[in-house]
Amino acid sequence: MVYITSWDEFVDRSVQLFRADPDSSRYVMKYRHSDGKLVLKVTDNKECLKFKTDQAQDAKKMEKLNNIFFALMARGPDADLSEVTGKEQMEAQPAKKGRGRKQ
Amino acid sequence: MVNLQPDPFLNELTGMFERTTETGSVWVTLKRSSLKSKVQRNKMTTAGEPIEYRCLIRATDGKKKISTSVGAKDHQRFQASYATILKAHMTALKKRERKDKKKAAEGLKKVGGENKKPKRV
Repeated sequence: MVYITSWDEFVDRSVQLFRADPDSSRYVMKYRHSDGKLVLKVTDNKECLKFKTDQAQDAKKMEKLNNIFFALMARGPDADLSEVTGKEQMEAQPAKKGRGRKQ
Repeated sequence: MVNLQPDPFLNELTGMFERTTETGSVWVTLKRSSLKSKVQRNKMTTAGEPIEYRCLIRATDGKKKISTSVGAKDHQRFQASYATILKAHMTALKKRERKDKKKAAEGLKKVGGENKKPKRV
């Protein structure tokens, strides 16, 4: 399977894949410290979406995706994600401002 | 496969991250599951009972397997602790390449500027 290079595309397609078949979808993350590599995979045993990175900033993005999947899996595929994503947006905005001031 | 409560699971997961710093990988899988067999699920469906789903979390370092599950009520606390552990252990990833690129670009500009100046003089 070819790795998806765009993070946003990976997130959109992963959520779509899960919602299409929640019972047979899984989300796997693999972290290899010695190589400094992180691979994320979402599959329903028919289609497989993968994302690979060695960037710390992508680990922050992954945290958001983790929250999305925890919500989807624990609350159900119809769970309202606006709460999850809304909180993140509010958190992300001041963080961006902070970075801007420092620079 | 050892099924643990969320907190012992997080402790074990921390141990896995610590043991794999030199060599090896850690895998963490999230899956929606009812934690019941298909037969049980079918029985419940025919009986008209609602099936409760939970988020099953499995982790392995290739040697040991551990698992836990969180429900709709307790997943937020778990995901916060999980995020903290990830943040604390994913330290081998490259930080802020953008800044380096900017620095590199600035460096090139400076070099370019210095080259230009002598030419002008």
